[in-house]
Amino acid sequence: MKILAFGKIAEIVGNEVLIVDNFPNTEILRGYLYHQYPALEHMKFTIAVDKKLTSGESHIPMDVEVALLPPFSGG
Amino acid sequence: MKKQRTAKNIFVNGAISPEKIAQSIANHASKTDIGGHSIFLGQVRADMKEEGMVKAIEYTAYEDMALQQAFEIREAIFAKYPLTCMHIYHSLGEVKVGEICLFVFTSSKHRKAAMEACEELVERIKKELPIWGKEIIDNENSAWKVNT
Repeated sequence: MKILAFGKIAEIVGNEVLIVDNFPNTEILRGYLYHQYPALEHMKFTIAVDKKLTSGESHIPMDVEVALLPPFSGG
Repeated sequence: MKKQRTAKNIFVNGAISPEKIAQSIANHASKTDIGGHSIFLGQVRADMKEEGMVKAIEYTAYEDMALQQAFEIREAIFAKYPLTCMHIYHSLGEVKVGEICLFVFTSSKHRKAAMEACEELVERIKKELPIWGKEIIDNENSAWKVNT
C-alpha cells in the first residue's frame, strides 16, 4: 500500500511516499511506523484513510490512500 | 432550482498579492444586493525563534483532502449564515514575512452575517485544513509552525 507523509513526518521518514505491505488497521500501521521510525513515537500525528481523519483503531480497506498528518498549521 | 456548488481550488502559488485582493473586491461591484463585506488577511510574521528571526514560511498541503474539507466547511457556513458570496485563498510554497498567506472574503446583505461567517471560516481553516507551515530562518535552520 501507498502511504503519503506530510510536513515534519515527511522529514522524519525521509520521503513523501512510502510503499509498504498492507496493514489491516491504523493501530497495526502505527506499530510498524514506530518500529521503523522511532522518532514518530514522540510525535503527535493523525492517520487519514481515504482522505478522512481517523482516531483509535480504524479499518484500512485495500487500495485506499493512507496519509500521515502532523498537527495542522495553515493560515 | 438550488445552485449546485462544487469544490473550488483555494490554493495560490506563493504570496497573495494586494492587487488580487483589490480585484476581488472590485468584482463584487455588480452584485448590488450586497450591503457588507468582511475580509480577513493572514500575514507572515517575523517571529524570533531560538535559531533566529523567521524570514518566510514555506507552505505545503495534502491538497486533495484540503480541497474536500474546504468544500465541506464552505457548505456548512453557507447553510448557517445568509451569505451572498464567500471566497477562500491560501498560499502554497514560500511566502516572505510581511506578505499575505490567507485571504478570506465573505459578503452579505447585512454586515453581521458576513462578519460572523468570516471569523468562523478563519478559525475552521486554521484548525481543519491539512496545511503545514515551515518557518524558514536561514539556509540551515527551520522550524515547523505551531497554530495556537
